[in-house]
Amino acid sequence: MYKWYALKRILRGMFMFALLMFVFSLLFNQVNERTQRTQIFEQVKQESARLTNMRADQIEAWRNQRLDQLIKQYRLDRPMLERVMYRAINTVTFNFGQSTVIKSSKGEQQVLAILMEALPRTMLLFTTAIVFQLGIGIFLGMKKAQKPGGSLDRSTSFVTMIIYGMPTWWLGMMLILFFVYMLKLFPSGGLNSVPSPQGFMFILDRIWHMALPVMTLVILGFWGLSFVIRNIVLGVLQEDYIMSARARGIPENSVLFGHTMRTAAPPLVTISLLSLLASFSGAIIFEGIFSWPGLGNLYWVAVQQNDIPVLMGDLALTTGIYQAGLVILDLIYGFLDPRIKVGGKA
Amino acid sequence: MSLKDTAYRFKEFWNDFKRERSGLVGLGILGFCVLVVLFEPAFLPFKDVNGNWRSISYWEDNPRAAPPVWTNLFAKQKSATTVQYDEATVSEEFVTTERYPGGVKMKVYSFGYDYRYDLSPVDLIVRMTASGNLSADIDVVRPDGQTIYLGSFIESGMKDSPLRFATDTAGRNNVLSFIRERAGEFGINMSNTTGVRPTQLIFSQLEPTMLRSRTPLKGEYTVRVKVPAEIASAPGNEIADVMLVVSGRVSGLLGTDTAKRDLMSGIVAGLKWALLIGLITSVVSVLIGVMYGIISAYLGGFSDTAMSFVWEIFVSIPVLPVLIVMSAIFKPSIWIIIASLIVFSWVGPVKTVRSMALQIKEETYIEAAKALGAGKARIIFKHMAPLLLPYSFANMALAVPGTIVFEASLSLLGLGDPSIITWGQILHDAQSSGATLNGLWWWIVPPGLFIAIMGMTFAFLGFAMDKILHPKLRTR
Repeated sequence: MYKWYALKRILRGMFMFALLMFVFSLLFNQVNERTQRTQIFEQVKQESARLTNMRADQIEAWRNQRLDQLIKQYRLDRPMLERVMYRAINTVTFNFGQSTVIKSSKGEQQVLAILMEALPRTMLLFTTAIVFQLGIGIFLGMKKAQKPGGSLDRSTSFVTMIIYGMPTWWLGMMLILFFVYMLKLFPSGGLNSVPSPQGFMFILDRIWHMALPVMTLVILGFWGLSFVIRNIVLGVLQEDYIMSARARGIPENSVLFGHTMRTAAPPLVTISLLSLLASFSGAIIFEGIFSWPGLGNLYWVAVQQNDIPVLMGDLALTTGIYQAGLVILDLIYGFLDPRIKVGGKA
Repeated sequence: MSLKDTAYRFKEFWNDFKRERSGLVGLGILGFCVLVVLFEPAFLPFKDVNGNWRSISYWEDNPRAAPPVWTNLFAKQKSATTVQYDEATVSEEFVTTERYPGGVKMKVYSFGYDYRYDLSPVDLIVRMTASGNLSADIDVVRPDGQTIYLGSFIESGMKDSPLRFATDTAGRNNVLSFIRERAGEFGINMSNTTGVRPTQLIFSQLEPTMLRSRTPLKGEYTVRVKVPAEIASAPGNEIADVMLVVSGRVSGLLGTDTAKRDLMSGIVAGLKWALLIGLITSVVSVLIGVMYGIISAYLGGFSDTAMSFVWEIFVSIPVLPVLIVMSAIFKPSIWIIIASLIVFSWVGPVKTVRSMALQIKEETYIEAAKALGAGKARIIFKHMAPLLLPYSFANMALAVPGTIVFEASLSLLGLGDPSIITWGQILHDAQSSGATLNGLWWWIVPPGLFIAIMGMTFAFLGFAMDKILHPKLRTR
């Protein structure tokens, strides 16, 4: 049954995430602990500065005691494997701790708060771009498959090859150069104008700021997608029932988008989502070019400020999203193609 | 499989490949790139760019943020280009100067510079190496007969010391005082000298308003370094390698950046790293992936399950973010970066190869080999791998662009190996100096364009091979 399949897949995804978090905390154990120790020292120093009614030796004793207490609390005195486990569990439960430098717009230093502030912005940008990419990609792929080897097919395949290795962020830089520096049509980056306008104008302003990054993603995104879709659809178009549909005089567009689309849907969805997931991981850099304050930009900032907790939290969240994407992919696939649901009780 | 078989299969492949026009173009570009890498010094305007990319003194004679030379073709007002004169004409003259009113015999090193532009050079730089004691005057003779005293070297106790005289800084006051004598009182009162470069005055006509509106004075200029003959010939004193650098307003085939670096040199020097990173990573990781798939399919059973599990772990890692964090923390060298790229990108071909290997495994000749007593390794390497490896060549080519972009992305974040030059690092410098918003297009376009061209080259190759090796995808 579908729900057992779904449950199994979700559980496996969660297990994979936990496993990866364990590997990450093992890999970055040393630097994580160094940061944590520094943070503890800072905290004790600040706290002891407030103790005005104590003598120097009393403060010293209090300090040592407090340090011990905090080190115990963060389990820095335990054996290494336990420390790594403890950190992995913390990460899996979204307990990322405090950042060292970076603050959220409200001034919070909780890594989770910083991440949660950035996440919706990234989502907004990428979902908008993905909708456009999927739309154009699927349409173009279908049209290409309709006349393989035709002028449209060949010219678009050629463009696909030309832009195959073009970095998204470089195109972003070029578009900034062209549209911002030369034509002065769009803002160079950011979420909104400062001060941001109210009401309907706020939405317009946001769209105006989103135009360039979305354009960058879309311009590069749909070519590869349409190429893959063409290959899948081409396979389906060879089937006998397509020929019979054509012979019955069903309009070509109905054959293409009705008959072919349904059969081609499972691999089509997988491939397109997979390529989008790949582009999500890759396009992370490009937020920095547009100073779009999402998860990708957070990497830039965290690397520059050397803020390890934020870097780790960002990595955990990105991995989580990636993992969730893979799970959703399989769920959709199983839903579209009933044969996939192996292991469930039929 | 014997050598003869391989040769035959290659010939067959080549016959098909010849018909793919885009594949041939890709091969051509790749061949040219390899040539450039092999004969790198011939293509480098600055020969010692490798290792000197981050040295400030190596680039100090270049103009700052100058556009490429060929922009002159499209400009109404032609800008002076950067030229270097290594050979001075040496002569002896008898001259009277302020320092030697009685007249003295001078050894003169002179350089002729034919100025035929509308916008003056940025700087005139005289360099030499000298030992012992030296006093030398530097001046420039203009086409209108005027001589402008620029400045002088007075040094003692040197031992092969490099000397450098930059008119823009050291000659400023002398040029201004020359102008003060020639330009009218009115012209000087009407203008200020803060934004004026000395070279702008040297290369413009003498007129009362020359501080404000400058008309270029075209013709033959002579820059002279005059050393009193007795000093030049005194034992222990030595002057060598006198040269003149005219630092132009446009410079090099691809211009310079704000750190005065010649971008053409950087791009050419970055090519070998792009090729190296791309090729090593993709070839090694695809080989690993193919072997992994074959072994996993052939062994079957528990090993297959375990290997698939490991594969699944690697597939669920978002590569770039992990690489970013790793490089930010460990600050790796380029070899470690290549190694970690391999670690994360071998997973690509595994699934397809595994399913293909599962089919081959059931073929009768494998069974026959088994019956003849062939071991696992023999069957895998002798019977299965040679059949499946050719299919991975297309994968290798198609994996190259991604790898190059990954490295460039890391470098763009400033996480690259600082001991080498890569295109990503050039773009990082451009991005951090705000080149996009200041319109320094010649700093941004070429590095990215070359990354894209490399990607295109390997895409041409990969798609062409893919078409031949996987005939199912041929256009029907």
